[in-house]
Amino acid sequence: MNQPSAPKAIEIVNLNKWFGHFHVLKDVNLTVREGERYVVCGPSGSGKSTLIRCVNQLEEHQEGDILVDGVMVHRNGSNRTEIRKHIGMVFQSFNLFPHLTVLDNCILSPTLGLQMPKKDAEEIAMQHLSRVGIDDQATKYPLQLSGGQQQRVAIARALCMKPRIMLFDEPTSALDPEMISEVLDVMVSLAEAGMTMICVTHEMGFARQVADRVVFMDQGEIVESAEPQAFFENPQYDRSQQFLSHIL
Amino acid sequence: MSANVETFSPKPSRPAPADTVGIIGWLRANLFKDVSNALMTILGAYLIYVVIAAVLEWAVFNAVWDAENRRECLELVGRSGACWPGVVAWFDNLIYGLYPKDQVWRINIAFLILIAWLVPLWMPKVSSKIAVGLSATLIYPFLASYFFLGGSKGIIWTVLIAAGVSGFVWVWATALCETLRGKPITAQIIAWLKLDTAEESKQRTAIRLVGLGLLVASSILVSVWSLEEVRTNFWGGLFLTLVISGFGITFSLPAGILLALGRRSHMPAISLLCTAFIELFRSVPLITILFMFNTMLPLFLPPGIETNSLARAIVAVCLFASAYMAEVVRGGLQALPNGQYEAAASLGLGYWQTTSQVIMPQALKIMIPSIVGNFIGLFKDTTLVSIIGLFDMMNMARAVGEDTTWLGLLFEPFFTVTLIYFFFCFAMSSYSIRLEKRLSEGRDRN
Repeated sequence: MNQPSAPKAIEIVNLNKWFGHFHVLKDVNLTVREGERYVVCGPSGSGKSTLIRCVNQLEEHQEGDILVDGVMVHRNGSNRTEIRKHIGMVFQSFNLFPHLTVLDNCILSPTLGLQMPKKDAEEIAMQHLSRVGIDDQATKYPLQLSGGQQQRVAIARALCMKPRIMLFDEPTSALDPEMISEVLDVMVSLAEAGMTMICVTHEMGFARQVADRVVFMDQGEIVESAEPQAFFENPQYDRSQQFLSHIL
Repeated sequence: MSANVETFSPKPSRPAPADTVGIIGWLRANLFKDVSNALMTILGAYLIYVVIAAVLEWAVFNAVWDAENRRECLELVGRSGACWPGVVAWFDNLIYGLYPKDQVWRINIAFLILIAWLVPLWMPKVSSKIAVGLSATLIYPFLASYFFLGGSKGIIWTVLIAAGVSGFVWVWATALCETLRGKPITAQIIAWLKLDTAEESKQRTAIRLVGLGLLVASSILVSVWSLEEVRTNFWGGLFLTLVISGFGITFSLPAGILLALGRRSHMPAISLLCTAFIELFRSVPLITILFMFNTMLPLFLPPGIETNSLARAIVAVCLFASAYMAEVVRGGLQALPNGQYEAAASLGLGYWQTTSQVIMPQALKIMIPSIVGNFIGLFKDTTLVSIIGLFDMMNMARAVGEDTTWLGLLFEPFFTVTLIYFFFCFAMSSYSIRLEKRLSEGRDRN
């Protein structure tokens, strides 16, 4: 599945970040090529969420470079909004806009950010909503839906911006067990369609099924990065072994 | 599964015991639950009866309705009954102040226009309610000002008043079009002009031209229309109270929103300025601010610019109210989870898009009770302008007792004024509760 020749979608070079005096990311290097699926895992507090939040600049970094599609992310925020339009993000807590219907959630940013005519935006939104199986709930408000449905709407909302990269920040951690699979199914189909993805998740079944690489982080560092089979069967570090023994 | 399955038949529902439901049930549960509860109920009922009976006796049964002056009242019933003729004689002044009697229709018309302007907000099929509401707060004041003030008008003033007239026409055109035809007025105009629906730029030009035409037409209309000038020192009573609080209310909400956003800004200079403004105005009593503006402001203005005390009072009230409103809005903004900002940011929305489309609609909904609370406070605070010599409704009520014919008549006008204040404040309060209910219905379940 690896395509070493594909252009780099995300390139992170020597990334360092501090929260106040706390050093949360230490010399992180990561390259994700177009069409690749990365799964980032690690214990809580290891900096995995912070890492992907740096990619679309929800967190500012202090040192190092982040390139998205070859474009440097300026630390002064000058091209932040532009870059975010190409990167979709799905959050642990869904973060749908509760005052808007499902459909309006999906067309808000395309009509405002991309200046798309409302009719076109609605058409695209309905396509994505039916792709995640929520098209019959389009006129409902988010709080009327179950957690799994809300998360699928959140994925559809991100897709409506036609992103080239999708970031998932523990998308299933806030869900009841029986709803996890409906969200994972959507993510798998997205991966099979060739989307570039970085997923922070503890769903190791998902990692095995679709990931091109699994990245294990601890205490702000990438401890190891390997293909899923190698990572699960033969972790190189004691810390990764320990983590896997807890989670599997 | 066992082989012989029995059919489950639910028992029929029986009616609840008669003494637990209906009026009798409610009375038993709430008013006469036990001995102490029953005693409290009887005591409460007695107190209510005593108060209401006393008020009715004074205000209605013992009251004098026909008298020439207060002495006559006192001779008839003494102090045991109200002396209404004084209030009746002064009633116009309580409402309109010293506004010339033959010009009072202007005030009535202006308030009727305001009501007509706001009616589309309650029409179910009207979809551009935000635009209607905004036009009422931003454009209507110009039209109203001319109705109230009259006098000569320059070109700019004429255009502003014309904008008011056009705004009113536009609001009702929109309301009728959206109710009867179910489409926005712009689409209707394009249909009338038989324009090609594909060319958007041409359509936009056409709409602008129609708008400009309306403005020019109403400018011509306004320029030939003239009203006699009524200087602001004749303004007073309920009318003045409504003008001051109206300005305060319409100014303080947008200004408060901007100040609150400024205070939360990441730019230190803006944040510092807004914080300083808010804290300064919040830590000084309104009376002090009114005094300051009345006596000090003219000293700072360049010579030649004259402001009257009404304008100074309005500015003072506006600034004071917006500082308070800013803190209410800030509270609402803080109640929103950070995830909403992050979601909007991750979708590539900019600051103003996020604020106007995602944050404010949710925050304002949370803030309705406190915003209306502030409006009610502001409405009552306007009584303080009497301190700089303006005759608002309260001050006018006091003036009744200083009239030689009705010397010492204080209770009756104050009682009347109390009822009027209560009517307005209670209306605001009830409306806010209804609004809250309706908005939360739309959001949670449909």
